[in-house]
Amino acid sequence: MISQPKRTNSYWRAGEPMVWLSAAALTLTLLSAAILLIVIMVNGLGVFWPSPLQRLELKDGSLVYGQQIKVEETADKSALRRQYKIANRDLYGLDFRWIDEAQILTETTPEELLVLERIEHGDFYGTLKSFEISKSVGPATLANLRQQLQIANNDLAQLAELVEKLNTASYRMEKLRLELQKLDYRKIAIEDPARVQLMDEKVRLEAQFTELVKLQTKRQAAARQAKAVFADAAGQEKSIALVDIVQAYAPNQMSTADKLLFYAYKLKELLLGEPRESNTEGGLFPAIFGTVMLIFVMSLFSFPLGVIAAIYLREYAKEGIVVRIVRIAVNNLAGIPSIVYGIFGLGFFIYGIGHGIDSLFFPERLPTPTFGTGGLLWASLTLALLTVPVVIVSTEEALGAIPREMREGSYALGATKFQTLYRILLPMASPGIMTGLILAMARAAGEVAPLMITGVVKLAPALPLDGNFPFLHLDRKFMHLGFHIYDIGFQSPNVEAAKPMVFVTTLLLVLIVLLMSSVAIRLRNKMKKRYTFGTF
Amino acid sequence: MNPAFLKKIKRNDRLAKWLITIGGMVIIFSVIFILVLIAEVSLPLFFSAEAKLYAKVETIRPQNILAIGMDEYLETGYSLDDRGELTFFSIKDGSELDRVQLATDGPATRLVSVESFGRLNHALLWEDGSLTIEQIQFKPFFDEANGNQRSISHQVKQRALFAANTEGSSIKTLARVSSEGRRTRVDLLENGRLHLQQQEISENFLGEEETSENSHDLELEVVGLVSTLALSSDGQQLYVGTDRGELLRWDLADSAAPELTDHLQAFDDQRAITALNMVFGDISLAVGDAQGEVSTWFPVRNDGGGRTLTRIHNLTQHSGAVQTISPSTRDKTVFSLAVDGLHLDHMTSERFLLALNPPGKLAIFALTTRGNALIALTESGSLLSWKLDIPHPEVSLGTLFGKVWYESYDEPVYAWQSSSSSDDYEPKLSLMPLIFGTLKGTFYAMLFAVPLAIFGAIYTSQFARPRFREVIKPAVEVMAAVPTVIIGFLAALWLAPLIERSLGSLFLSLILVPLSLMVSILLWQAARQIEALKRIERGFEFLAVAPIVIMAVAIAVNLGPGLENWLFAGDLKQWLFTELDTRYDPRNCIIIAFAMGFAVIPIIFTIAEDSLSNVPASLRAASLALGASRWQTVWRIILPSASPGIFAGTMIGFGRAVGETMIVLMATGNTAIMDLSIFNGMRPLSANIAVEIPEAPVDSSLYRTLFLTAVILFVMTFIVNTVAEVVRQRLRAKYGRF
Repeated sequence: MISQPKRTNSYWRAGEPMVWLSAAALTLTLLSAAILLIVIMVNGLGVFWPSPLQRLELKDGSLVYGQQIKVEETADKSALRRQYKIANRDLYGLDFRWIDEAQILTETTPEELLVLERIEHGDFYGTLKSFEISKSVGPATLANLRQQLQIANNDLAQLAELVEKLNTASYRMEKLRLELQKLDYRKIAIEDPARVQLMDEKVRLEAQFTELVKLQTKRQAAARQAKAVFADAAGQEKSIALVDIVQAYAPNQMSTADKLLFYAYKLKELLLGEPRESNTEGGLFPAIFGTVMLIFVMSLFSFPLGVIAAIYLREYAKEGIVVRIVRIAVNNLAGIPSIVYGIFGLGFFIYGIGHGIDSLFFPERLPTPTFGTGGLLWASLTLALLTVPVVIVSTEEALGAIPREMREGSYALGATKFQTLYRILLPMASPGIMTGLILAMARAAGEVAPLMITGVVKLAPALPLDGNFPFLHLDRKFMHLGFHIYDIGFQSPNVEAAKPMVFVTTLLLVLIVLLMSSVAIRLRNKMKKRYTFGTF
Repeated sequence: MNPAFLKKIKRNDRLAKWLITIGGMVIIFSVIFILVLIAEVSLPLFFSAEAKLYAKVETIRPQNILAIGMDEYLETGYSLDDRGELTFFSIKDGSELDRVQLATDGPATRLVSVESFGRLNHALLWEDGSLTIEQIQFKPFFDEANGNQRSISHQVKQRALFAANTEGSSIKTLARVSSEGRRTRVDLLENGRLHLQQQEISENFLGEEETSENSHDLELEVVGLVSTLALSSDGQQLYVGTDRGELLRWDLADSAAPELTDHLQAFDDQRAITALNMVFGDISLAVGDAQGEVSTWFPVRNDGGGRTLTRIHNLTQHSGAVQTISPSTRDKTVFSLAVDGLHLDHMTSERFLLALNPPGKLAIFALTTRGNALIALTESGSLLSWKLDIPHPEVSLGTLFGKVWYESYDEPVYAWQSSSSSDDYEPKLSLMPLIFGTLKGTFYAMLFAVPLAIFGAIYTSQFARPRFREVIKPAVEVMAAVPTVIIGFLAALWLAPLIERSLGSLFLSLILVPLSLMVSILLWQAARQIEALKRIERGFEFLAVAPIVIMAVAIAVNLGPGLENWLFAGDLKQWLFTELDTRYDPRNCIIIAFAMGFAVIPIIFTIAEDSLSNVPASLRAASLALGASRWQTVWRIILPSASPGIFAGTMIGFGRAVGETMIVLMATGNTAIMDLSIFNGMRPLSANIAVEIPEAPVDSSLYRTLFLTAVILFVMTFIVNTVAEVVRQRLRAKYGRF
């Protein structure tokens, strides 16, 4: 018993508790990372799962249809209250409602309750009453509604074709307008044959355009004729045009398989659909596409530049003060805040080079800027500068890891420096270079601050890549997943209703970035193992 | 071998060498270029003002000219002589363009005096005592007949007419018409009385216009003689200066009862006040005195709750008594004329912009409405016009980094408030709150991140089993790749409400987590006497700690509300407010510490772990062989060897936190306050750029100031990164391994 305090003492002196404390530091770090992922997963994965639509009878006699979002303590912490999504924004003004548990008399999940996803005003919760369609279509059932929606969808598809034609026509008209503007600028006479031809073309296009608009208005009016009447919890009736309904489903009737199918359908919509309701619903396709284009164009610049710079540092430059300074410069480039890159992009690319291009090549359009405003090209260049150090560092590491014997062997066989580089070193270093490129891409996918001032927008009218000549429009503004999160999470008028969409976008972005970076790190570690005798 | 082939190879080799060398050099230059470019954009902030003589025209009978003016395109000028004749002439060559005869309603044909104010307004006092206010307006138009050339049309508009003063002839008269149609006329009469006439047009409840007229003598109880007057452009504030240094202020808002609100001895040495005028915006008063000093004053709240005129800014020093003071109609620039010429000063920045002192004393001067040019008449009869280039008068090192006493403030402050809806706003561009915000956010983030990252790295590299290490290291590296926009979004929309709801639990877990760790270590110490248990402990500690930490947090969450009820009457935030006088912002430094800490941890962790595990194994083995415990080895041997690497990691993490934009943009309130409290937010440099640059007009002061903040950010991170990199390179040379 006497030795006990002594042993305790030595335990403390040996510093075992400190080991435990450092273990705790690591645990906290890992736990916080895990919590971050769990929060994103829990909130993001559940968004598309159709939860039961409840019918609540309250003590004051009123009825509520709603999907339960969460339960929490009331302000005085004596009881529980639940948050329900009650939808029907056009009728109630609010999508969400807090109900005290004490207020609820009964809760049931009747099978006939429907959820309608609409083009406008968010979801509608209610029951189907009747159809307002000229020909008789049978009883008001979900199956019949689906059938009618299918018909409405066909109408919509035809309309979409028309809209496509309209867009092409208006694009060509815009082109014509710019052509004419150019002629004006060059002071070409009205009688000039080139101008006469353009004017004729313009007249023809305008006629075609008016024709199309007329047709569209007519078809649209016809399509809007077919309606269905729905009733909300209070019995209030609402007639909704079928073309306004994206889809209808009865969550309470669905089996697990149905729900899985539904989930898959929603995922497809997310990845390939267009956004609706100021980006808070619908798909993310333009944002995903914009992000991919951005990363692609950025890689075109940063990859060659980074690899060449790394080769210079490792293979060509003589170790000395210059190389030291270059290394410091590279690491500084990596450490400069991204917003500084953004402001550099604004000052140099947009207002410097962009304005220069405009006044040289598009003087007739001024003061409307073409390249003198934010766009895909400038954002990509800015990000390329930002990610070049990542490529340099990992390429250098990869080149440095190749054993000297390889080089010496190559030289001994009579190869020149460039041949050695091209035939021996680069193929061997390629996993490392790939690592750098992937890491750079992951960085670009997640970076938002510099994009905000160099061309990213909330809603881009057109994709940067389309069927109109010259197909790739580097001057266009674009959408980006990261900015999408910032925008709908913080700038949207209805933050609560936007939350599910933010979490889904977050989940998607996290998955993309984590996937890319884990692949990159995997590659790197593999390479490290391959040359265990190499130096890093 | 084929010589042609050999030649080709050699050529390729040389070509590649050149290309690659150029590529490498591009990188160095781009770093320098970025700095040079953003600095180049911000530099014009400090450029000095310039005035270029544009034209010189001779006039005849200069002594008869009472007022002059010019349009903002520097094409048409005008002069008004004592017969009420307005002559428009070409600025370039002096050729006469047009003549307009002004008149009053009476028979008078001669003018006694003219006072010019605002945007080309002139108050004309006729010899019969009546007074008219005339405004000259210039409009550019494109003349189709003349090949679409731009021409300037001019127009004279009578804005008001005051009937003759019946009280006696006046020495000095001021008159104003406010935008609501209220007319005010103040006369300093020959017998020393100060007479006020006001005419107010109001609508009664039937919608009819009613005119009420008031006329008063203002009581003057002064020692000296009234030497000068100033009237605000709405006619509601009247300032009077005397030749004994007294300054008086009347509030004329209630036309029935003018109120003397200030009467003070402005200068203790009783020097005469020789010139008064309002600065643009009508809040500050510029005062010129007999000793040539120009200062600005405005009412500041005093101890009694009222407001007293207080001397705020000291501007230029003339060599003789100040004759006239005139404000710019665009910004807070003050023009003052004395024997040594015309001086331009900016009030807020107290910058002396330039002095104009042409041969032949200046008699009258006038500014264009855009403030881009100046026309002046010398006593010898030359009409001189200058183009003014005053790039950014409101910015100086003093306004950027020092305390400034802004208009309507009670004391000098550091403030950032770049824009407002009104034109006469004084932009507040102090960078101190932003730099403070950056450092504050970084400080709290580092406070959270550094210990966790370094201790975590120590554990991973030294104590964890290699099997775990191979998982932990990549996991933390992947953590570094999480986009900051996501961290910021979660911090703002998930963490902030969570912490706001359970602030008590948070503080409780700060106590409970270490406490429970201590207790479990003690318990473990007792349990590890069993040999079998002792063997399994090594390398698994971090897994064993996890349930303890989770349990402690769970207990804190459960106990938190109860504790809050018991200690702080149920609401910690309310208690903080009433007892400690700290306001709780939902988006505060606690959130920033967690969020930005989370972003910085992986960076510090990775570099620290690298340097720790690269310490030669021989050192470690030797220490252990001498009988040191594993912690003693780490603390005394490994840590000192790896400390440069850890330092470098911390520096790079610091640099990252300084420049982090999205997290702070989303998770702070973005209010530019200077308060160290952990319960409120801040506005760092980076977020400020992101918020303001889209709205900043190109080449404006705000635009350039934002570039300047980018330079500051650049320099901050440049220093930190360079230090870290130099340390790292030394370390690499020492151990040759990382």
